[in-house]
Amino acid sequence: MSWTLYALLAVPLVAVLITLVDGWRLARASTLVAGLVSLALAIVIGFHVRHGEVVIAAAGWLRVDSLGAVFLLATGLLYAIAAVFSIGYLAADEAHSDFPAFARRYFVYLNLFGWTMLVVPVAADFGTLWVAVELTTIVSALLVAIDRTDAALEASWKYVLIASSGLGIALLAIVILYATGTSVLGGAYLPRFERFLTHAHGLSRDAVDLSFVLAVVGFGTKVGFVPMHTWLPDAHSEAPAPVSALLSGSLLAAAFYAILRFFQVAVAAGQRSFAEHVLIVFGVISLVAAGLFVVRQANYKRLLAYSSIEHMGIIAVGIGFGAPIAVAGALLHVITHACAKGLAFFGSGSLLRGYDTKEVDGITDAGRAMPFTGPMFLAAALALSGLPLSGVFRSEFQIVAGGFASGQDVGVTLLLVLVNLAFFGIIWHAGRMVLGRPEQASPGGAPGGAPAAGVVARERSAWMVAGMLGCLVVSVALGVHLPSAFSALLQSAGHRLAVPV
Amino acid sequence: MPILPDWAIQVLQVVSILALAPLVSGIIARAEAIIQQRRGPRVLQPYYDIFKLLRKQTVLPAPAGPVFRAAPYVSFAGYATIPLLIPALTNFPLPLGYEADFFGVGMIFALTSFSISVAAVDSGSPYAQLGSSRLRSFGAFNEPTVIFVTFVLALTTHTDLPYAFGATIRSAVVQVVRPSHLLMIAAFFMLVLNETGRIPVENHGSTLEFGQIEEARVAEHSGPGLAFLRWGSNVKQLLLFTIFMNVLVVPWGLASTGRLDDVALAIALLFVKALGVGVAVVVIECSFAKLRLYKIPEFTVASFMFSVLAVVIFLFEPSFGNEHLSVFGAFATIGAVVVLLLEYGMLRSQDVWEQLRLYSLGSGAVAALAIATAATGRGSSALYVLGAVTIALKALLFPVGISFVLRRLGSEPRVPSALGAPSSILVAIALCSLAFIVLRPIHIGGVQALPLSALPLAIGGVLVALELMIVRPSAPSQLLGFLVLENAVSVASLVIAPGLPIILALLLLFDVLIGVLVFVVLVQYLAIERTAVRTDVLNRLTG
Repeated sequence: MSWTLYALLAVPLVAVLITLVDGWRLARASTLVAGLVSLALAIVIGFHVRHGEVVIAAAGWLRVDSLGAVFLLATGLLYAIAAVFSIGYLAADEAHSDFPAFARRYFVYLNLFGWTMLVVPVAADFGTLWVAVELTTIVSALLVAIDRTDAALEASWKYVLIASSGLGIALLAIVILYATGTSVLGGAYLPRFERFLTHAHGLSRDAVDLSFVLAVVGFGTKVGFVPMHTWLPDAHSEAPAPVSALLSGSLLAAAFYAILRFFQVAVAAGQRSFAEHVLIVFGVISLVAAGLFVVRQANYKRLLAYSSIEHMGIIAVGIGFGAPIAVAGALLHVITHACAKGLAFFGSGSLLRGYDTKEVDGITDAGRAMPFTGPMFLAAALALSGLPLSGVFRSEFQIVAGGFASGQDVGVTLLLVLVNLAFFGIIWHAGRMVLGRPEQASPGGAPGGAPAAGVVARERSAWMVAGMLGCLVVSVALGVHLPSAFSALLQSAGHRLAVPV
Repeated sequence: MPILPDWAIQVLQVVSILALAPLVSGIIARAEAIIQQRRGPRVLQPYYDIFKLLRKQTVLPAPAGPVFRAAPYVSFAGYATIPLLIPALTNFPLPLGYEADFFGVGMIFALTSFSISVAAVDSGSPYAQLGSSRLRSFGAFNEPTVIFVTFVLALTTHTDLPYAFGATIRSAVVQVVRPSHLLMIAAFFMLVLNETGRIPVENHGSTLEFGQIEEARVAEHSGPGLAFLRWGSNVKQLLLFTIFMNVLVVPWGLASTGRLDDVALAIALLFVKALGVGVAVVVIECSFAKLRLYKIPEFTVASFMFSVLAVVIFLFEPSFGNEHLSVFGAFATIGAVVVLLLEYGMLRSQDVWEQLRLYSLGSGAVAALAIATAATGRGSSALYVLGAVTIALKALLFPVGISFVLRRLGSEPRVPSALGAPSSILVAIALCSLAFIVLRPIHIGGVQALPLSALPLAIGGVLVALELMIVRPSAPSQLLGFLVLENAVSVASLVIAPGLPIILALLLLFDVLIGVLVFVVLVQYLAIERTAVRTDVLNRLTG
């Protein structure tokens, strides 16, 4: 099976190479193929490891278990759909004279970005994991800045500065974990995950606690935990829509994956309840802040960004509840959130192309003007709010059920209240955008809610619609029926977080 | 070999200090001149000056009274007394050695300075009075510095006798490389620079400058009085050097018996040690500019705050039980303190080129630490490679590359700051203290005898780097903040995880390299799009 790992890491790089050698036209196709192949490989790997098997390659430097496979799936899915969507999203700019160079840069960075995020879950040790996460920051910073507008540069600068500083702290966590590991593993060793897990009893508990907190703060900066989240709304709102979708659905999850590796060590070292408490605290703080910001947000891409913070909080709380069903639900939430948020960001990109504004107030009646995008954007909002039929409903339901099962009544209550707050905010804004009538919005006579002068809102590209449709289908499918193989994968991954082997 | 009686050694102490002091000054002046590509005065010039002045007539200003006339002799008498109280030649106390403690020595210094200041007032010359009032106001923080330095000494030895402290260090070498001790050395060194009128506080060489402090005070003196003042100021310098070296830094090489050859060797070593400090002074004088007058208090405040930090760290220093000193532990602590102090320097600095130089020095310290780790056998020999790569990348390529880009962009070298230098240093000291307080009860474990007191220093360094990024709204400074953060983490990793496989360490460095490239690209975009590299104008995206 190790060939799958090699293939997974080779495919995006081949696409980069083709883009560099050829122009942007072939790049579109090669990116599409790379995305789809990565998704297929992720599914193959996920299928293979669903009962606790481990795929190892490159003399042990690459390793995927069921936990990593969950995150591979999230990345593979969004990478493939983003490749589809990008074709339509970029088509609007084709008239520009510098478009070929721009598109070429875009596809090079996009494939590199996808590649770095595929590396994260296949890394076998903490050092490589850190390097991969830092690479995701660097590459995605370039993608955020790719439009070179004032706002994009500002967002990119804040992002790369804050995220890199956070990762500096995460590196400190790794160093401390390494230092305490020397007492059982000898003075010089490779900080592989499974070595820590098998020798966890010999680790100093103080050091495990300290490194876990530092990891949550450090990697949590990239996850978007409040108060380290300040870069997140900026980067998500200024990046091109497909990149926003990847950032939200896949990059945040990749950083969360890094935290989960520390969580595993903490559990193995007997510090489970401490680690769970840390995650619940950060999760609840994120839920509170994100809920409040969602309600008062005027920019719909920032709105979605705050919703990402909220969902990361939900995942953190779900892991923190500790009951197997909640942990499996949190891992499922990684995938369902990726689908729903991907759908929402793709929809926002389509709306942006149609209306040329990022303001909620600038968009009305999208349901009629853009007959595919509008309803699907509303569907995304409903899915993000956790309504039944969407996968998010299933995962959030599992988390809540697990919370009650483990007796965390206060935590569950907080979770439900705050999720409803965000629900209100998202539905309120999305409803106005999609269903609102222009004449209602402008009592003064001037068509205040109409699109800006000269912009006619309409569907711009079938590719964009196809991308959204893909997300919608997966999201609903996960809500309606969970395939047994996938369910087994989640069980196995949850089991790894409970009693790691 | 004849054994000298104690009283003879005591006399020798005074005589050797008085006799060597002008020579030390002369050598420093000559060395500076050579580095600055001048010929400079002969090394014996201070003696000639003193002899010349002794033969000259005294000219008194009209309002001068007995205070003015007595001041040179009072101050010189004070300077001649101090050698009796400090371990200049012997490591055993001579009969008069216990007559005064550290405070006593400080008070005699204060008396000499006081007499000169009063004489300046008595002369009626506004210029001399200006000098003495400047000295008084700028020196306001010197006394608390001395007090806090003494606190560290007293906390360590439960007494504040200079002899006792030297003996404590000799008995447990680990004392020298305790973080608190290293910080105290830094504070005291800055105090020495200040008190001897060196750059960055005062330009020692020239006589006609409105920035003068020390030199201005004696402007009205002439003849033998001036000779004694000049000689006295040379003696003061050597005395401070002696205290610095023989009490704080290297209390070795002192005579342990009264044998003639021991004492002779001690005199020679005293001279060598003084020249050692002199080298540091020369390097600083040739590489820094004099501070503007109103910036001088920042310098003295910084030295005071280092001494405060030294006390705080002393109180919260982790008692990891690693009291036996390994060579590696010494290198680790010194490296961590150097990196931290350079960060303080960057925090204070207003100039992006200076920040780049300080960053480069800090990277050099990290590389030296890597090499020392390998040389002392704590890590594998692959760490030599890491050290070399660190020097190539972080000490040379990054600073040179960044300064190249900045020069091409023609950006303003002055770095804006959201917080004044003293306040930001104060915050940094609070952050470092926090690191020590938080980490005190935490037991990392790991291979025994890791120099764990360097860990809080490194974490303090991380926090200070974060502060640097926050208070400096300028893209290059924030980039440097990220880089020093990475340096601080490197120190932590070398100190407590020296076994980290080289391949991972190189991967990390490679990552940082790419990160810097992206940072630089963004800085260029910022400069082109916003015509500035300031980041406090980046305030479009909020809420």
